[in-house]
Amino acid sequence: MIRSLLISATLAATLAVATPALAANRLIVPNVSVAVAKSAMMVTADREWNKLGARPGPLAESWTLDGDVLNRLSFYGGLINGATLFREVDRKNRPLPKVRADMLPTDIPALFEQSYRIAENSGLFSVDSIEPASIGGASGVRFTYSFSKQGEDVARKGEAVAAMVGGKLWLISFEAPTLHYFDAGITSARAIMASVRLPAK
Amino acid sequence: MIRILVAAAIAVMGLASAALPAAAQEVARVRDGVKIVPGQTRIMIIQPNIKVGSMSTGGLFEPNAEWTATARGLIDGQVRQQLGTMGVKLAETPAGDEAGAAIASQYRALFPVVAKAVMEFQFFLGNRLPTKKRPGVFDYTLGKDIARMPGAADADYALFLFSEDAYGSAGRKAAQLLMAGLFGVAIAPGVHVGYAGLVDLKTGDLVWLNADPQMGGDVREADGAVKRVGQLLANFPGTAPAPAATAK
Repeated sequence: MIRSLLISATLAATLAVATPALAANRLIVPNVSVAVAKSAMMVTADREWNKLGARPGPLAESWTLDGDVLNRLSFYGGLINGATLFREVDRKNRPLPKVRADMLPTDIPALFEQSYRIAENSGLFSVDSIEPASIGGASGVRFTYSFSKQGEDVARKGEAVAAMVGGKLWLISFEAPTLHYFDAGITSARAIMASVRLPAK
Repeated sequence: MIRILVAAAIAVMGLASAALPAAAQEVARVRDGVKIVPGQTRIMIIQPNIKVGSMSTGGLFEPNAEWTATARGLIDGQVRQQLGTMGVKLAETPAGDEAGAAIASQYRALFPVVAKAVMEFQFFLGNRLPTKKRPGVFDYTLGKDIARMPGAADADYALFLFSEDAYGSAGRKAAQLLMAGLFGVAIAPGVHVGYAGLVDLKTGDLVWLNADPQMGGDVREADGAVKRVGQLLANFPGTAPAPAATAK
């Protein structure tokens, strides 16, 4: 018990020191092309959004209208072979699936689903549709999904477009509670997905 | 190991919240232009979302059905009594058919998510969204389809209440004393959160939210429930001079 508490105290002190200051949220103004997810991916918004200071992964970025629990538009910019969508939550027991440079577009929804099941601890996750789509001129997929978060009774829906370009994964996803928020945000999200420009191979 | 990490995380959260300046958290806000007239405006009480349980040494929530049932009865009675004292006109809350009950339960589930977004992205100044910083902006909604909820046609506003209490187990209390005494590390003794919101039944707009993060009153006791409901209904619009925004 004492040993556990000692470890706990050490961890608490370490985390308190190591936790970085919360990065500021920033305004995304409409009709201006911006680079996202620390990458060469460029998108243009049709309305105001908020860029969250907190990133879901090292090469990712999220925008929201009202707060990420109500609407979240995420960009994953050029994930290379071996990269994960999110930061590892339990690398030893539940490692996140890794991007492979030779993935086909149709492999992407399964990678996305498995990543959500682990990182969001979402047991109720389903990919509802997959269809071919163009993303920034590249051949890719558009897929829809639904899930709920642990400890919540709210049903959520999502829609994403993704492609492999030059062996790297490029993905944009939008998700929100099914009730009101998905329909309220999807039009702008689709406009942003349609505006994307990806770097040449 | 996971339990230890949870305890460590809670300790860090305890330290972090203790270190926040008092002015960093807004606790209540009223949407501009809201007119609630005591005795006239009809308010429908949505079945409160109440959870009571204990918190283990490692920080895991363990629900307690008996405590929850007791708290539900006490809080429900107090809400009606205190609103009655304020002169608020209560509308009937029909049970409705199965489809109607399903719609109501969806909104009961959505309300805490909207409330959390308000607390995290508007009330918490350090994380406020740029679009929510503008003067007078309090723009959150549950959607206009809320008008489909049973009873919505016969009321003006719906009152949503959420209350969650996790009382520290004996083991947790011992660990709290030990950690404080030996290392000066704070472990939160339990979790006591609650918030109340008023939603326009025509537009779905959230017109008032009260979310004091420091909820008091033991909801398992009659006296405690009086205090808790008093806190939940503090600054209820239209019943007392309610400022556009109150900061703690």
